[in-house]
Parts: sequence; C-alpha cells; structure tokens
Amino acid sequence: MFPIIAVDISGRHRINQGYYMVCAAVAVNVSASHIESVSQIAVKPFLVSSAPDIADVVNIIETTVAEMNYPGTIILEHGDLYNQPEWLSQRMFSREFKYQESLSERLSIEFAHHVSLSSRNLLMKELGID
Amino acid sequence: MKRTIVVQRNDPNADTAANERKLAELKELAHAADYVVVGTLVQSRYPDRKYQIGRGKVDELAELVEALEAEKVIFNNQLSTTQIYNISETCKCEVMDRFQLILEIFAARATTRRAKLQVELAKLQYELPKAKAIVSLLKKEERPGFMGLGGYEDSYEQDIKKRIVRIRTELLHSSKGSESLRTFRHERGFSLVALAGYTNAGKSTLFQSLVEEGTIVEDMLFTTLSPTTRSLTINYRKMLLTDTVGFIEDLPHWMVDAFRSTLDEIFLADIILLVVDMSDPVDVIRQKLVVSHDIFWKRTEGAVIVTALNKTDLIPYEDLQEKMEVISYLAPAPVMISAKSGEGLGELQQLLYENLPKWEHCRISVPMSEEGMSMVSWLYDEGIVHTIEYGDSILMEIEARDEIIQKVKPFTISY
Repeated sequence: MFPIIAVDISGRHRINQGYYMVCAAVAVNVSASHIESVSQIAVKPFLVSSAPDIADVVNIIETTVAEMNYPGTIILEHGDLYNQPEWLSQRMFSREFKYQESLSERLSIEFAHHVSLSSRNLLMKELGID
Repeated sequence: MKRTIVVQRNDPNADTAANERKLAELKELAHAADYVVVGTLVQSRYPDRKYQIGRGKVDELAELVEALEAEKVIFNNQLSTTQIYNISETCKCEVMDRFQLILEIFAARATTRRAKLQVELAKLQYELPKAKAIVSLLKKEERPGFMGLGGYEDSYEQDIKKRIVRIRTELLHSSKGSESLRTFRHERGFSLVALAGYTNAGKSTLFQSLVEEGTIVEDMLFTTLSPTTRSLTINYRKMLLTDTVGFIEDLPHWMVDAFRSTLDEIFLADIILLVVDMSDPVDVIRQKLVVSHDIFWKRTEGAVIVTALNKTDLIPYEDLQEKMEVISYLAPAPVMISAKSGEGLGELQQLLYENLPKWEHCRISVPMSEEGMSMVSWLYDEGIVHTIEYGDSILMEIEARDEIIQKVKPFTISY
C-alpha cells in the first residue's frame, strides 16, 4: 500500500466580483486499484479577485496540504495545473508531487472532488451566493 | 509479400527511446499485414504541410523506393489526403499511414460479420473527412465550371454518411444479441473473465495454457481480432475466459470505439486479467500500465483487476524484483507467470478463484422423491455440491450463487 494525498480545487470560475474556491485534500492509503483506508481530510476556502494563475494554484494546494500531518505524494489531475508537463510541475512543489496514474489515484481524486464540490456548495449557500 | 519502406517523422525534442519503440511497432505491424520491410527512413523535424517530412527527404524517399524496388511506403505519422497524394506523385508508389495499415490488418483478420462491419465502419469514419478532398484531387484537371463539381462531392460524402448510419444501426442490433447471451451465461452460473493488455503481451499464449486448447498463437500483432471464449473450471467453479484484441499505442479514440465489441468483453467481465510483458523496459511497462488504467477507468464497472506479469522466464530474478517494485502501484493483485513454460499458472488460477463473485454456502435437506432427485441433479448443474448423504431425506452441503440459494431456501437446515 502507498500513502498519497489527493487534491482537488472547486470553483475556479468567476462569481460576482471574485473567485470562491475550495481546496480539498484527502490523505489515503491506496493499493493499485482501491482506496484501502482514509486517514485525514483537509478543506480550506480561498477567495481571490483575479483568475488564479499556476503559482496561485500551487500556493493553494501547499497551504491546504500543510494542514495535514501525513506523509505521501501529492496527486493531482493534469488540468488542475493547466496541463503543465510533470517535470515542470514537480519543481514548483516543495513536497513530492505527481499526476494521477493508477485506478486508485483516480478514485482518490474523485473522492477529493466530491469533498471540495460539496463543501463549496455549502459555503455558497451560507454566503447567500448562487 | 509486398516490399515496403517505413517512414517516421520525429518531433525534434521527442524522447529517442519512445521513437525507436514506435518505429519497431510499425515494423511489426507491417509484418503482421504480410509486408517485407526493405528500408527505413527517419527524419527529425516539425511536420511539413505538403509532405509531412521535408521536401528533400521525399526526393530521397523516391530514390530509395526505386533502388529497393519497394511497392509501398508506410508512414508512422497520420497523413492528410493532400500529403498522401503529393508523396505518391513523387515516389510513384502507393502510400499509406499507420491507421490505414491497422485497418488493413483488421480487415484481413475479421472473421465474424460483426467484426467485418466494424472494420468497414472504422474505414468509413476514417474516409469521411477526406471524402471531399479525394474527389477534388482526382478531378483537379477536369473541373467543368461554375458549381460543376459540388454535386459529385456532396453525393460521395452523403453516400459514406448513409452507409455509416446503416452499419451503426446493424451493429446496435447485433450488440443487443451478444448482451443477452452474456446475461444468459451469467444466469447459468458462469463468471466472466477477460484477458486484456497490450498486443504481444502473451494473452493468446496464456489463454491457450489456461484452457489447454489450440488458438492461434503467433509472434505477431493482432492475432486475436474476434474475441474467442472458452470455458474454464477452477475448483469446481465454472468461468468463461475471453481472449480479446490487444491495446496498441497511439490508437485514436474513434478506432477504440469502433472495436468496442471486442473491448466490451473486457468492460463487462467480472474479472479483468491484465497481462503485462515483463521483458519490456520498465518505462515502457509503466507507460502501458498507465494507459491500461486509463482505458479501464472510463469504462469498467466494478470489475476486479488481476495483473499477470508474463514472460518472467526471459529475465533474471533480480531485474524482475526491481521492475516489480517500480510498477507495484499500478499492478493490482500481481502474480508472476510464464505462459510459455507454465510457471505460476497454478497461483494465477487460485487468485482468479479467490476473486470470483462470492457464492454462498448452505445445508439443505431435500425429500427422497422423484422431485427431490431432480433438484439434486439441478444443483449439481448450477452450483457445487460439497457433500451429499442419502437417507430418509437427502442431506446436502452446497455452494451456489444467491439466486439458487434463494430458490432452495425452504429446504435449508441450520448447522
């Protein structure tokens, strides 16, 4: 089994005057095709006024992952880092990083996506923004 | 056998090893289509709009064709209609690209009506965007005047579109047939196991070793085009093992979709037996596994994946361990085998057995009567009878799928 931290960001589009984003990181233990156990989940909201560039995205991810006390490679979808090649993205992170490859990594990202999306929906409802 | 020259244009900063691998694969494909490769031409540059490779390189190719008496030129890169036309004009021989070559192999190997239809569909889909260009290229000189050609172009394109619709409808109907066959097999207590993996990973050899039957096994790509299915029994559990067409690098998505029926066997299986060629370099294995996971991710529904790391007899044990470590996060439930020598097959069968959909155990008592006896024989057909005792009534310990257990529920007794 391998420890990984799957990360997903929801809300990278403009609403009213800003970008209401929620980043979710889930720390899981995975085998090649399944999630074996979930250790920790971190959710953090971010609000910025202009469209996030790649440096912002990296910063958002690192801030969220810093909440966790868990070893493991950060796993992301290609699109989240604007389809940058892996060797380039790796240099931007202070921790180990790679794009999704195995079935379990994809599952974990899907998991993180559900967490971030529903947290964001809840947040938007609380703020009264549609 | 036709003499052919293979050509590949590489992007200037592309990975050399990957380029070499692609070229080797193209040569194997050509071999599979019964061509003899007499020459190779490689150029590193960005694509030329008119010829794909450079102008000077095309002249060089023309000389090579003449010197080697080649009858065909096969490009690894996808060619536009204009490029095919321009190159064949210069080289004075037939020119095709990798996808046309694959289609040619598929057409030659397709045996069932369904497979033939799928090949035709793929061909037409490939042809469609080119239809207009082909007509205007052929009739370049005899353009009759205002709006003269439009009619021909449209009708040619329309014909193709109509044929595509007809084939799609027919395929849809026949797929319903195979789907009901699959449900029937499931109902009969068969679990479905599909062999998947890249071409030449050894799927057909493994298939043959497992079912001990003669399917065509050749060191050639695409020997299995129409899926072959045979039954296999492990520890009294019946399963159907299907050999499927191999994945291939850079196969366009529409082509994967066109051959869905063979891949459907993978996507609807209870267990996917992913065969990996361990004699490949570790980067290649990794890449192939990533692509396989990508294909499974979009289409499978809850099937268990078992990875058979094949051709272990070809490499030393230490190398094997090293490779195994690197790819372990991509290889679910791995087992090392050699389909050729039979090594590890017992272990693989055990693993398959363990991953089959769970059957329930129960003890039943059936009355000693004609009806009871017919029930006994029915249970022998549908499940596994572990123990049977004949007395005033018939005491049985059985293992079967849920539906069967439900049917005999009135006869169950506690332990």
